[in-house]
Amino acid sequence: MSKPEDLSVIGRRQPRLDGFEKVSGRSVFTDDIVLPGMLHGRILRSPHARARIIRIDVSKARALPGVKAVVSNVDAPDMLFSEKQPLLAKGFVHYVGEEVAAVAATDPLIAEAALDLIEVEYEVLPAVTSLRRAQQPDAPQLHEWAAGNVALTHEKDFGDPDAAFAASDLVITDEFRSPVQHNTLAELHVALADFTNPDKLHMWTPTQGAPMYQMALARAFGLETSQVRIVYGNVGGAFTGRGRAKPHHFIAALLSRVAGKPVKIKATGDEEFIMFRGSGETQYRFRTGVTRDGKIRALEADVTFDAGAHAEWAMILWLPAPYLNWLYKVDAVRYRGRFVYTSTVPKGSHHGGIFGRLSAGWMQHLNHVAEELGMDPAEFHRKNAIDPGHHALDGSDFASCGLKECIDRVVERSGWKAKYGKLPPYRGIGIGIGAQASGGKNAANDTSAAMLRVADDGVVTLYTGIPDMGQGSHTVMAMIAAEVLGVEPEDIRIVGGDSDITPFDWGAFSQRGTFTTGNAVKLAAEDARAQLAGIVGPLLGVAPTDLEFAHRRVWVRGSTPDATGRSFSFREAIGKAFNGVQGLAIMGRGSFNSPRPSGSLAYSFGAQVAEVEVDPESGAVKVIKVTAAHDLGRALNPLAVEGQLDGQVFSGMSQVLYEECRMDGGQILNPSRLEYKLPRTYELPEVEYILVETIDPYGPFGAKEVGEGPIVVTMAAVANAVANAVGEMLPQIPMTPWRLLRVIRHRRNHGLGPGD
Amino acid sequence: MKKGFITLHVNGDAHEVLVSSQHTLLDVLRGTLKLMGTKEGCTTGSCGVCTVNNGRGEAVLSCLTPALEWADQSITTIEGLEKNGCLAPIQQAFVEYHAVQCGFCTPGVIMSAQAVLNLTPAPTEEDINDGLAGVICRCTGHIKVKEAIRHVGEFGTAP
Repeated sequence: MSKPEDLSVIGRRQPRLDGFEKVSGRSVFTDDIVLPGMLHGRILRSPHARARIIRIDVSKARALPGVKAVVSNVDAPDMLFSEKQPLLAKGFVHYVGEEVAAVAATDPLIAEAALDLIEVEYEVLPAVTSLRRAQQPDAPQLHEWAAGNVALTHEKDFGDPDAAFAASDLVITDEFRSPVQHNTLAELHVALADFTNPDKLHMWTPTQGAPMYQMALARAFGLETSQVRIVYGNVGGAFTGRGRAKPHHFIAALLSRVAGKPVKIKATGDEEFIMFRGSGETQYRFRTGVTRDGKIRALEADVTFDAGAHAEWAMILWLPAPYLNWLYKVDAVRYRGRFVYTSTVPKGSHHGGIFGRLSAGWMQHLNHVAEELGMDPAEFHRKNAIDPGHHALDGSDFASCGLKECIDRVVERSGWKAKYGKLPPYRGIGIGIGAQASGGKNAANDTSAAMLRVADDGVVTLYTGIPDMGQGSHTVMAMIAAEVLGVEPEDIRIVGGDSDITPFDWGAFSQRGTFTTGNAVKLAAEDARAQLAGIVGPLLGVAPTDLEFAHRRVWVRGSTPDATGRSFSFREAIGKAFNGVQGLAIMGRGSFNSPRPSGSLAYSFGAQVAEVEVDPESGAVKVIKVTAAHDLGRALNPLAVEGQLDGQVFSGMSQVLYEECRMDGGQILNPSRLEYKLPRTYELPEVEYILVETIDPYGPFGAKEVGEGPIVVTMAAVANAVANAVGEMLPQIPMTPWRLLRVIRHRRNHGLGPGD
Repeated sequence: MKKGFITLHVNGDAHEVLVSSQHTLLDVLRGTLKLMGTKEGCTTGSCGVCTVNNGRGEAVLSCLTPALEWADQSITTIEGLEKNGCLAPIQQAFVEYHAVQCGFCTPGVIMSAQAVLNLTPAPTEEDINDGLAGVICRCTGHIKVKEAIRHVGEFGTAP
């Protein structure tokens, strides 16, 4: 492992390499692409949460001048979106917003008018529009295969939970709920399909990764994966909202095939709020067994997820089980989870995955446990926290772990000891901790590949499929390649986001970008460097391994870079390779897949302290300060790391305090960014960041993830701070003024102040 | 439907464009003039990504204003901030401060920031907060956006 002083690019505060394009209005996003002959698609969606379709008549829509294609399940191929889910509603609709029919026309206004001409007759059926209702014995059964509306269950025990609870001195149980939450991406959902040639489907769309889209679309249209090309140049945010292809991707392709023209489908502002796949309602029951001196013996979580009408995101059901044993040295862990159908849009997750919302409840519960024991929660976390080298009950190994250091440093920097339990009424302070896998390998193949080409002028082109959704992945990949080759990040050109060109990469899921793709890019650059060294070494009279590459120069190790006759500029070296007898064109390749059969090689850790003030008259919460420490292995680009932390503090406080889709009978009542509350500038807290560098042995230059770990901890810290301010655990997010006022008034009516 | 030709002055250039009462200023900028730097978001005035500056340098939501109202008016879009091939100070500051992440809202955020600087060359914290209240940036949390504006407000130039 290189020492920090040996690194010339890594660790630098590097502005984005695409900054010029982005600030000047030159960046091209999907909606900016207009193809010759392009049509505009619109989707007719179900107005009912559950209904039988009696009749669909598209004849009037089809007759409208300018309409080039109309598709519905009465006259289109009988396509499936997933195994049990038709692409266009067939016989029934199962949620408000379900795709019933679609139109492509020469003008968006004509397409909109054509939707009004489609006649659909429904027989409305009793619907199940809340998670609570879905579990009642008399609730209608939504799918014939799901008795009690349970789509799937998952049970996992690590160790012997019954024995561990029995051996506990104190067992505490708490319940918690989280709401429907929306990803509110900057760039609304959009897909541009060109399927005019039946042998090739081209699709321009923002995505977190091409392969999942390619595979799903190929399966639906009877193509090979390589016959589907996904182009994703600039991606306007993702926050787990662009993981898999959604119905509009398939419908754009279908309309394009039928019309013989490219078709663009773009969601409108309110449509965005009914076709999303964000967090569903979730119910949690946490149970923890501890000894009198504060050692955690057993952890248990029982989680019921709202799947929506289809179990599209069943994979989230498995995630809590391992997470429960990544933080603490415990004797046993028990997880019980179920995925329950409702008559609502299929659900997945929001920024922070399932871990943020879970932590907003779980960390309040553990805070409660600590207080029952009479312990400071910070000490309770620290006492039980894992150390480097820990082998968890689920088989996870933690080669690097800075959890205790994170706790110690936020406690110190936030003034925790002077404040916890000592703040004035309605001021609160809370601590949370968390961990996140860097690439949560769930299948044998969790591969990222990269290619690198060096032109005769010394310009390096890096081909990568990792999308840059704003997190700065392309810049950090350029930094990794530049560090290895001894050039500057500006010397690296990125070719990204085109599955016809870029090598295989699952994409930016499960915090795998920096870690997995970063390792692939490093391998590709090392491959190219080795090829170059094979030419240059003999010319300088040394073995290829005795060369140094840095500052755009190649020189003999032990001498100085400017030693005459003992060094070349990078460009001269490339010229020697290219114009030498071998005429070698340098091309590096790298492919990385964790050698573990499953689970990650590396985990990040974090601790945060939040300080808040609650106005007891209005119930409004002001977040005053968030102090965040994150063990990210190594900060490859500290500037981008701060950007990641900023966004996660913003989004974490937002989910705990504001964000909720207000639902009534399956309809969303607040489908806009004014009514679906997000923080604005004046609500942002002061932030202080502490980067803990534990230099992970498996990460590229020691780096681990920093894209999701922090938000999980922010949600825990803010939730605990608000609970601390009002005097009791709060069973629900978001902690809106209305909900807090009820708690404050209830406590006042019982003669309890915030500190009682 | 009312329809007619109007002259729009965009980034210093005069354009004669045919518009109807159904068209917004954003439709004309993106659809007719192909100035794709200004982004289309919610189209209901709640996200702010379509923000441009009017002739007085104020921030305007181009998705909400009918194009017909803009006859003979001047508009500055994100494409109009560069001078002699150089980024405006606020644009350069956004790069240096990492006030840009995914970049989709960035044109709207920069035009909002530019409006703050146009109206209050040395903006206070409150001026900045007010000026950015109409835009949402989910990636940056506006933290580094505010740093970039503060810098230009204080020094008048990019870092």
